[in-house]
Amino acid sequence: MSSYYDVDAILTDAQKVPCTFELTVPGLGFLEGNMSGPMKSGSKVELPLWLGEMLALSQNMGTNTSLVSLDHPTALSHRVLNALKADARTVDLRSLAPHFYNLGARILELFEEEEMIEILSDAFKSRAAVIADQAHNPRGALGEGADFMRGLDENERQLFRASHDSAKAVRTWMTDLKK
Amino acid sequence: MALPLPPGLTPPEIAFICEMELVTIIPRQRLEGLELLGGPLKPLNPPQRASIPLWLALLLKRQRRANIVPPPWLSPDSLSAILKYETEIDAFSPPPRLPPLPSGTSLVFSPPFLPGSTADATADALPYHWLELGSMLLEAAPEDFDDANEVRKLLRGLREARMAKLRQGVEVLDAGGGVKMNGVGGMEVGEARTFITGVVDGLRKIGKSREEARKERDRENGYSPSQDFDDDEMDMR
Repeated sequence: MSSYYDVDAILTDAQKVPCTFELTVPGLGFLEGNMSGPMKSGSKVELPLWLGEMLALSQNMGTNTSLVSLDHPTALSHRVLNALKADARTVDLRSLAPHFYNLGARILELFEEEEMIEILSDAFKSRAAVIADQAHNPRGALGEGADFMRGLDENERQLFRASHDSAKAVRTWMTDLKK
Repeated sequence: MALPLPPGLTPPEIAFICEMELVTIIPRQRLEGLELLGGPLKPLNPPQRASIPLWLALLLKRQRRANIVPPPWLSPDSLSAILKYETEIDAFSPPPRLPPLPSGTSLVFSPPFLPGSTADATADALPYHWLELGSMLLEAAPEDFDDANEVRKLLRGLREARMAKLRQGVEVLDAGGGVKMNGVGGMEVGEARTFITGVVDGLRKIGKSREEARKERDRENGYSPSQDFDDDEMDMR
């Protein structure tokens, strides 16, 4: 679906996820700041999603354990999901992860979480309604809602831009009629 | 990159399509019949009303050769009735009723190709091009209305009420669902298109894993790919 050169997909894959090493790996200690030593099993490191995914999916020869086990990133922790469930409009998604929904979609590919799909969809919908209102009645950068606008993730920004542009096109057409 | 335009039609394009709508005029001058691509036009005789395409009506109006008769739904009374309906009921006000099918022909006319804006159109329903046509007539021929300012105000109110409804409509959407848009006009579709498709795309992205899992399950249960295809078709509705 997404192109190889899709910047948003690349940036999504670069977001960090917490990983726990299941095995001791010699020479990887630098990930932990331990320059020359081995990476001990059981230690937790934040790795980019693409690397963590590869390590978690690759099976060690012979044994059935994978090299690392993935955990949910903090942006999708229970605390955040509960906040989204309570009132999605007040959560600052951008500070959690600039590509929040893309990250969510990637995580959902790896874990099966029916509830998270529901929460993310509902949050996206209720925020989309506010985005549309903002796009049609801009109240200036300092008006109410400026905080909400600052907390939009990349997807939502594109949505805002698209609906703002179409509203503006209709307004331009209406004023052009008067000429 | 191809054209830097969003998908769908831009407002000037929608207005251009709207200009083929028929409107009623009272000519002030004689005009011989014209052979237009859309069919021949009868000669205009001054006291008799005639239905001509909007673009020609606007041209004749600008040259002061004709007066435009606004369609009945563009009167303060019917507009305020429709506005009342829009504000009280959750759905959009219904589009004009389709005329009885002409027998003997296989052509079935649907809203954009019906004479919804001539003087004998229905008064209680907004046709497909209501917003474009209303704004253009108000701009080109305000003196042909009884109360142009009131009509202008009501049109703006209607537009606001309906756009707000359209925006609220996305809250009931889900990745495979739809939102009922019966009676929504051309300009409104053009304006809301990017937003609604953006929301559906976003929801699909979030629900992708569930969709894949469902397809996987269907395949395991022994559905053939053709049935799977039917399933997708169902989702689009």
